[in-house]
Amino acid sequence: MESYDVVIIGTGAAGLSAALYAGRYRMKTLAIGKEFGGETATAGVIHNYPGVMDVDGYDLMKIMREQACGVGSEVIDGEVTEVRRDGGCFIISANGKEYSASTIIFALGTKRRHLGLPNEKELTARGVHYCITCDGPLYTGKTIAVVGGGDASVKGVNLAGEYAEKIYLIVADTSLNAEPINLQQIEKLGDKVEILFETKVEEIVGNGKLEHLVLSKPLNGSTDLVVDGLFVEIGALPNVDLPKSLGVSLDSRGYIASDTMMKTNVEGVFAAGDTVNLFGRFKQDVTAVAMGAVAATSSYEYVKANGNVCIIHQRVAE
Amino acid sequence: MRVDERKSVKNNTVIIYTTPTCTYCKMAKDFFKAQGVSYSERDVVSDLEARRVMIDKSGQMGVPVIEVNGEIVVGFNKEKLSTLLGLA
Repeated sequence: MESYDVVIIGTGAAGLSAALYAGRYRMKTLAIGKEFGGETATAGVIHNYPGVMDVDGYDLMKIMREQACGVGSEVIDGEVTEVRRDGGCFIISANGKEYSASTIIFALGTKRRHLGLPNEKELTARGVHYCITCDGPLYTGKTIAVVGGGDASVKGVNLAGEYAEKIYLIVADTSLNAEPINLQQIEKLGDKVEILFETKVEEIVGNGKLEHLVLSKPLNGSTDLVVDGLFVEIGALPNVDLPKSLGVSLDSRGYIASDTMMKTNVEGVFAAGDTVNLFGRFKQDVTAVAMGAVAATSSYEYVKANGNVCIIHQRVAE
Repeated sequence: MRVDERKSVKNNTVIIYTTPTCTYCKMAKDFFKAQGVSYSERDVVSDLEARRVMIDKSGQMGVPVIEVNGEIVVGFNKEKLSTLLGLA
């Protein structure tokens, strides 16, 4: 079994930042991720990453991977199915193999929320979509709806504005919660975008293909809204199953609870990125990479202070 | 890679249906390049006939759609592609 100072679970912005810093600390480092690049990879063009002019999110993640590998860290694709304690060590199962580590950094990110409506699953990719950067351009010249009031939905509308003929932005709240620069851009789209505040999607109707939505509030006298495509951008839920299985505590909102040095309640276990709520709703690449760097630093200090934790455990056992 | 595996990779016919901004399409193309797999790309935004073919063959409108020797794979499923390409 290959042994590491730190195994980072997740290869998004937080995980790759942790891998870069851990590599520079000369720790033997492995980063494993189910979906390379995490949320950043599918975010489209990133306009606000300091030091880098407008860059595609996937390209930015490839640069981060190259940086991490350049200092000796290993970065691989794979789904971690189990993390368990074995004395002072952690055993990580992935890709049909096992790895051991003195410390763990959970950088698991989030999974996108769905509306939870009947028909939603059946009509996925048949009019209902969750990746506007991927599938939005297929609706060139068509009418679409985007549901969600956060920055991701506003950015999605701005992207779709290049292709779609008409966009309905369906927002449950009374206002949008997005970066002002993105709101300014949406205003430039003019009549192409119609924002429906205090409105929810109550039904998705279609047989083999999306036909129309049923809204909670009428628009022009009808709650039926005929659209060709629906893009769901209603936020995300943290991936916490693996940390929970290891006894890691969660906060009141269900995210991994950590201190400002990214330490969890479990010795040798650290966390970073969107699976932690350290900065509240403000979840950005800059916050993710900062948390990754701090988590790697804490992991390094832990390994430096404790040496090889497995050997310590063996000594105690003797 | 053994010689017989190299031959099987070379003999595959791979078509990928993409949009210009699709990350999973880029991931799939990077995977093919890393494995030395040749592929043809169809941009379903600019090529309406390719879009029609993709929807007909896959029965849906998500990208990427990847055709390996006539078999359709929806999304970037590395394991399935590896099997179909004889890489597994």
